[in-house]
This record gives sequence, C-alpha cells and structure tokens, in this order.
Amino acid sequence: MATDTQDPNQEFRKNPSWLYDTQSGTYVRKSLIGLLTLVVFTYVLFPLYWMVVTAFKTTAEIQQIPPTVFPEDPSLQGFRMVVMSSLQTSGYDAFFEQSFGWEISSAIDIDILTLIVNSLKVTVGAGLIALVLGTGAAYVLSQREFRGKNAIMSLLLASLMFPGTAIMVPEWELISTLGLFNTHLALILIYGAMTSPFVVWLMKGFFDDFPDSIVEASRIDQCTPFETFWYVLVPMARNSLIASFIFAFLLAWNELVFALTLLDNSKFTVPPGLLTFVQGFNTQWNVVAAASIIISLPVLAGLAYIQQYFVQGLTGGAVKG
Amino acid sequence: MTHLEVDGVTKVFGDPEKDGVVAVNDLSIDVPDGDFLVLLGPSGCGKTTTLRMIGGLEDPTEGEIRFDGTVVNDIKARNRDVAMVFQDFALYPHMTVRENLGFGLRREDNDMTDEEIDQRVTEVAEMLEIEELLNNKPAQLSGGQQQRVALGRAIIREPRLFLFDEPLANLDAQLRKTMRTEIDELQSQVGITSAYVTHNQEEAMTIADTIAILNDGKLQQLGTPDQVFNEPANLFVAQFVGSPDMNLYSGRVTDSGDDYTIETEDATFEIPKALVESEIDTSDVLVGFRPQDLYQRAARLTEGPDVDAEVRVVEPVGTEAIVHAETESGDITAKIGGFHDLAAGDSLTFTIAPEHVYLFDAETEELIKGRLMSERAEDAPTNGVEV
Repeated sequence: MATDTQDPNQEFRKNPSWLYDTQSGTYVRKSLIGLLTLVVFTYVLFPLYWMVVTAFKTTAEIQQIPPTVFPEDPSLQGFRMVVMSSLQTSGYDAFFEQSFGWEISSAIDIDILTLIVNSLKVTVGAGLIALVLGTGAAYVLSQREFRGKNAIMSLLLASLMFPGTAIMVPEWELISTLGLFNTHLALILIYGAMTSPFVVWLMKGFFDDFPDSIVEASRIDQCTPFETFWYVLVPMARNSLIASFIFAFLLAWNELVFALTLLDNSKFTVPPGLLTFVQGFNTQWNVVAAASIIISLPVLAGLAYIQQYFVQGLTGGAVKG
Repeated sequence: MTHLEVDGVTKVFGDPEKDGVVAVNDLSIDVPDGDFLVLLGPSGCGKTTTLRMIGGLEDPTEGEIRFDGTVVNDIKARNRDVAMVFQDFALYPHMTVRENLGFGLRREDNDMTDEEIDQRVTEVAEMLEIEELLNNKPAQLSGGQQQRVALGRAIIREPRLFLFDEPLANLDAQLRKTMRTEIDELQSQVGITSAYVTHNQEEAMTIADTIAILNDGKLQQLGTPDQVFNEPANLFVAQFVGSPDMNLYSGRVTDSGDDYTIETEDATFEIPKALVESEIDTSDVLVGFRPQDLYQRAARLTEGPDVDAEVRVVEPVGTEAIVHAETESGDITAKIGGFHDLAAGDSLTFTIAPEHVYLFDAETEELIKGRLMSERAEDAPTNGVEV
C-alpha cells in the first residue's frame, strides 16, 4: 500500500523509459523535434525567402560575393522596372509622361498583366475541361461494371507517369494540323487532357465511397440519372470538385514547355513570360524576382481563400463523413 | 392503396448458369391492400433483396411482381411511385430538412406550386413533430430525428407502397421501441400497403399484420404473428420466432389408445389425441417447449411431463426470470415467476401443459402439433401451492 507521502508517479511507474519519463529525456526529445522542424522549414522556405530578398536588392548587391542574406540597401528598383515595362508594352507610357511628367523607358517589353490574363484564360479553361470530363468518367468508372474497366483505369494512371515532353512532337503535329498553333485554345486542350486522369482518380475515390443508399433514395424520389447526378451527387462532391479544379489549375499555371513552344511572345502565359526576363548575362535578377512576386500574389490570395475546401476534398474520400 | 403480389420471384446474383448466388428462391407473397407485411429472417436470407425488387432497385431473375394486378417488372424505380426508408436513413446531407422532405415532390411530375409543396412539408413536419428542425441539416439531428425525417420523406408523397429496410437497426433500444409504435400508428393512419424488412423477431411480431419468414431465400411461412408463434410451419420458424429460444428434445411417440405417449430422455408423458390435428405416422419426433410455457412443478399441476433439472444461472428480468438449468439430457431454459428463492445448484422440477407442447417430425422438421391457444393462468388446475 502506498502512503500519502509517496509520489504517485513512483508507485505507478512501470516500464520507465529515459526518453519519455525523465526531465532530461524530455528536453532532448523536444530539442530534437524543434531542430528537425527548423531544418525542414528552412529547406522548404529558403528559396521563397531568397526570391523575396532578391527582389529588394539592387543589381550591384545581387552580384556581390559573398552574397548578403538581407538586403543592405533595400530598393524597389526591380518592381519599378516591372511596372514600367508593363506600362510601356501596354501603351500607357505616353499617358503617364503627359500627366505626371514621368519618363518611362524600359529595355524589356513584357506586360505582366497580360501574362496573368492569358494564364487565367488557359488555366480556368483547362480546369473546367478536366473537371467536366474527369468527373463524368469517374462517375461511370465507379458506378458501372463493364469489360475493360481496369484496363482503362490502368491506362489513365500510366498516362500520369509520362513526362509531358515525351509526347511533345506528336502534340505539336496535332496542334498544327488542327490549325491551333499559337492559340490559347491549344494549351487549354493539352492541359485539360493532362490533368483529366488525375481528376478521374480523385473523383473515383469520392464516388466509390459514396453511400449507395443515397443514390437509391434519389431514384425512389423519382430522379432521372441526370437529376441524381446534378441535384445530389454534384452538391455533395463540391469539396472534391474544388480540389480537382485547383490541381488542374496549378498544373496549367506552372507549365512551361508547351506554353513556350506553342505560343508567340505576344500570347505568352506566366511561365514563359517570366523566362523572357531572364536574358543571358544581362539578366536583372531583381526584376525577375519582383515579377515573380507580383504574379504570385493573386494566385496566392485565391488559394488561401479556397484551400479550406482543398484539404477537405483530398481527405474527404479517406475519412468517413 | 395497392394490392401487392410477389409471384414466383427468383433472384440470382451473378451468372445463373455457373456460380450465381440464389438470393431469393421462388418466392410468392400476396399482400392485400393496406396490409403491413414484415419480411423476417436471418442475415442473408434474401429479405432485403425481395424488398429491393419490390421497389425496383433490383430486377427479378424470374417471376413477376404486380401492383394491383399490373406487372411492374420492367417499370423503373422512379416510376413505380413507391417510397422507401433506408437502414442508414440516406438523407441528402447537403439539404436542409425542409429540402429533404420536399425533394421528392419537386422531382415528381405534378402541378404543385412552391407554396403547395411548402404547405405539404409543414403538414408532414407537424405530423412527425419535427417542425422546429425544418431549417437544420441532417448532420445536426439526432438518430431519432433523422429517422423521423426519413419517414417524412416517405409519407409526404402518399405513395402506392411503403418499403422499410431495417429502419430501426441503427437506433438505440429505447428509441427503437417508440419508433416501432410510431411507424405502426402512422401506417394504420395513412393506410398505405407496407413491406418492412427486419431480422428482429420481436419487432416483427409487434408491428406486422402478416409475417413472411424467409430462410436461404425460401419462404418458410406466411402468417399472422399468432400463427407463426403458435403454429410454426417447421423447426426453423419455431426456433427463429420467440425469445428465449425454444427448448428442443428428441423423443419417440407410441400410440396408446386415446393418447400418444411421448418418451424423451428426461420424461415420459401423454398427449391426448384430441390435441393433435392429424394422425402421427412417425415414431421419431422433436419435442419443443417454449420457455414461457414451463412452470415449476411446485407451483402448479399439469397433465404434462415433469422434467428434473439443476439450476445453472438465474437471470432476473423484473417480475420474471430466465432460468438456465441442466437436465439429464441437456439444457433447459424457462421463463418463470417466483424465482426469488432459486440459486445456482438448486434442484427443481419443471412441468408444461400438454396443450403447449410442440411436436415436430424429426426427419422433415415439419410441425405435427402446435401450441394450442389457452390462457396460461386459468387453464390448468393448481395443486394449492402458492407461487
């Protein structure tokens, strides 16, 4: 029997472990976890940090060796160049010169606003194509039994493993045969096709877990198959649909190779557009970084708003609701 | 208002020629207009499949399903005008209770305006006492409330048929009892022909007008709750219906003039021929005693057998107790009053009135003699010993 003066921890201490049950063990444990977190954190975020500080450095400071971790002489030169280039390219330079007496001249002729608009056109279009085709296909693949179903699923998975560049040449042929060279529609079709397989897999997971009885309830409630799909399945699939759309959107937003090869300067989307800031030995890295930041902001804001659905959608299939 | 006929229906899952699984085998049931049919049986007996075929969610492999004489085999579920309550309620999670209730009406090909639908939703909600929940989503409701919404969704359309697929299985015991009564009342109120699936024999007995007992896809018996309890068609029905389980012993019958003499390992007793409807032409029988029909010899006198037993466990259930005891040949379970003096290890003698003894053919397991309806307290002479 334990007396009152005895430490209850002493009495109940079975299987003591140095790491988990002693004061010093706890310190070691917590420091290790903290250290590891710091390493991972740095690994992931350092490139972003470097982009931000580069944007605020002057050209001279960027080329300094050893490099400075923090800009010694913060400057908005990079941002100014981006804005000026945009204004000049879009033809507002004369307006500003007359109104405010600002002289605008830029060696670069890129309008980042046009880049963003072009990219949005392509990404939203591709996202919608992937969503419509992928969701329809996923519903059928999940709900119906037919010959060759597994083959189709495997094929879709295999197509995700191909690097896009592997089919560059045939795609190029196809696009020029269709007369779609140097159009945004070409990119919309290609990106839509590239992301559809992923959407099929994601949405199939959702439809597989979908309780049959709800579909049956809607049949008993006199729904046609389309009404079931539209009034019951789609609203319930909202989060998964948003997740699919974001995925397709991000892939299209970041894709460089097809956009670079299929489009002219005038129609460039964001990735090839940013690349034109990189001009061999003359590259002004602060301008590139500033343009990257400006271009990332609207997307970041949109994603921040919508990411609550993204996480729910990805885990929605895994955890029973 | 529908007269439902299930006529020679067979359902085979998979390829009937090769390794198909026969879920329902040549099932025929006739449900008169306004009747409450309960499909009862153990898991996998084909009761839910039968219900789903009636609703149009599965197609029969063979046979016909008729509503008021019209064959509906080829009519789609959405055109059959039936309503179904599912085991997991299957409410639409993204809709409020109001939208859930009105959904079927809106999809229906009718001339109802939004106001009329709203009016109808309110009526049904009042009937089920869920009017203050109308703007909630299903996830905010308790199990019993979800069940009410599911019921409401079924009755709002005034369908030809109600189908219930184990609607109470997901509720707790207390709620199950109240909801059972409510479903029964509701069905009598609206008078719509209903089919109800359950594996719970107590639920079936209390709620049904007609019970269809299924096993292995075959109909074992179709009858009123009284019939299946007192005159079970065969051993399976006798064992499935009634709680605690019936006590069964093998025995031999010999003809001794006015009586049949039954001999089991534990007892020998007579049953007057008058109590047996038809001639017994076999010598090997199974003798069945319902636990509720057994008495302590000390408490009352019957013409029936005496069975000596040693008490193993006493499980009190209020005024009565379920006593598990051991006889020479095996176990016996009795549900008796006056159990307070009993303890494990005590010896006692059970007795049963000959009217209450069940006899089954040992080979075919068909019923020979059922339980004759007679009041348990007055029919037998007591021997003067107080309970």
